[in-house]
Amino acid sequence: MAETKQVIVKVKRQAGPKEAARWEEFSLKWRPSMNVIICLRDIAENPVTRDGKKTTPVTYDSNCLEEICGSCAMLINGKARMACSALVDQLEQPIRIEPMSKFPLVRDLAVDRQFMFESLKRVKAWIPIDGTYNLGEGPRVSPEVQEKGYPLSNCITCGNCLEVCPQVNEHNQFVGAAIISQVRLFNMHPTGAMNKSERIAAIIGPGGIQECANAQNCVHACPKGIPLTESIAEVNRDAWKQALLSWLVG
Amino acid sequence: MSSTATRPDTSYLLRKLHSFTGILPVGAFLAEHFWSNSAALVSAEKYNTVSQELQTIPFRLIVEWAAIFLPMLFHGGYGIYIWLRGKSNVSAYPWVGNWLYVTQRYTGLIAFAYIGWHLYTERWLTHGRSTYANVAADMRNPWYLTFFVVGVLASSFHLGAGIWNFLCKWGLAATVKAQQAAGRLGALVGVAFSVVGILIIISFRYDWHPFSVYLPSK
Repeated sequence: MAETKQVIVKVKRQAGPKEAARWEEFSLKWRPSMNVIICLRDIAENPVTRDGKKTTPVTYDSNCLEEICGSCAMLINGKARMACSALVDQLEQPIRIEPMSKFPLVRDLAVDRQFMFESLKRVKAWIPIDGTYNLGEGPRVSPEVQEKGYPLSNCITCGNCLEVCPQVNEHNQFVGAAIISQVRLFNMHPTGAMNKSERIAAIIGPGGIQECANAQNCVHACPKGIPLTESIAEVNRDAWKQALLSWLVG
Repeated sequence: MSSTATRPDTSYLLRKLHSFTGILPVGAFLAEHFWSNSAALVSAEKYNTVSQELQTIPFRLIVEWAAIFLPMLFHGGYGIYIWLRGKSNVSAYPWVGNWLYVTQRYTGLIAFAYIGWHLYTERWLTHGRSTYANVAADMRNPWYLTFFVVGVLASSFHLGAGIWNFLCKWGLAATVKAQQAAGRLGALVGVAFSVVGILIIISFRYDWHPFSVYLPSK
């Protein structure tokens, strides 16, 4: 019988935000179509390190396993990406798995992405359709706007764009590309446009669009292929018009 | 309901001012400066005429401070502040845009230091009456010459990449195609400024005046 192929995985472990970090190495049995989440599940099934020491299952977030929920973003071989779509056969071994560095750590690979959800609230990333009475039908959305908006609506708030952005760091409260792109999406919608100036006012506040320095890493790192740099430019144009010209031309 | 009453954050206004001053007046002045200095490619006399013309403009000090020194000080000073608030990660993510992000910071710092020195040697020490002979004498010093070359290349790169940044950041080049075109325009400006700048340095260093053929023969 042929020798079974092994997959070597190194995981950065940390019991809590204030605990010391350490690396643990695991040797797993290779299977076809194996991805990084399967590796973490295999470790949970048999939490024994490569040198035979018993350990605990690795804490991580994941849900949909098809790059649609946005919860399993982590650093795999030093690069921010979704663990569910990171196929073992395409990765160099040992596979190094670390938590994202730009979000507060919860435990092991689990981080707290609350900052992004708070930012979405700040920019009112929704379309107000509820009133105390029936508001009736909204305006029709032209096919052109639908086509532009659909790719933007694919954002899964995974945080990869923030993780790779040199402007997102401890000195800087930059909201990041995903949030700016959502401002564009909801300002594009005819009903959402009714709150356009509020969203723009929020995005030119502290940590707003001005912190973008055009390194354009976000667009390369986005697992959903969202035209983030285009969104930033579009919102930038609306932003300076409102910030610099509204006192002149309303 | 008018939420436009919400004033933009001061950092927003300063960032926009930083971006704008990079083109106007700083970038425009660089263009003017290269243009005026290219008179050396014609002849030393032509250079002296052009520089004397500039040295005797009315309200010279006000113009110099308002249109050149203060905007440059702000652009450079605030640029360093922006640099300190970023955290480069080009080793992990070596994409072109990320390289430009890093290079834009180093070339900016080099250009800022160079311009400071250049002002000191060619403006301050000559009491604002620099001539062809002054500059040519400075170019004889190999250290000065090296700094001239480095400064010209850093400034040219910084302006080229800056034009690309400007067009993206003001939403003037929004689509992917437009941003690529803006990048090509920036590259063209960077290369053109580098070439012209180096030609001017050669002109001073080797008394080389290729456009003297335009002069009427005596």
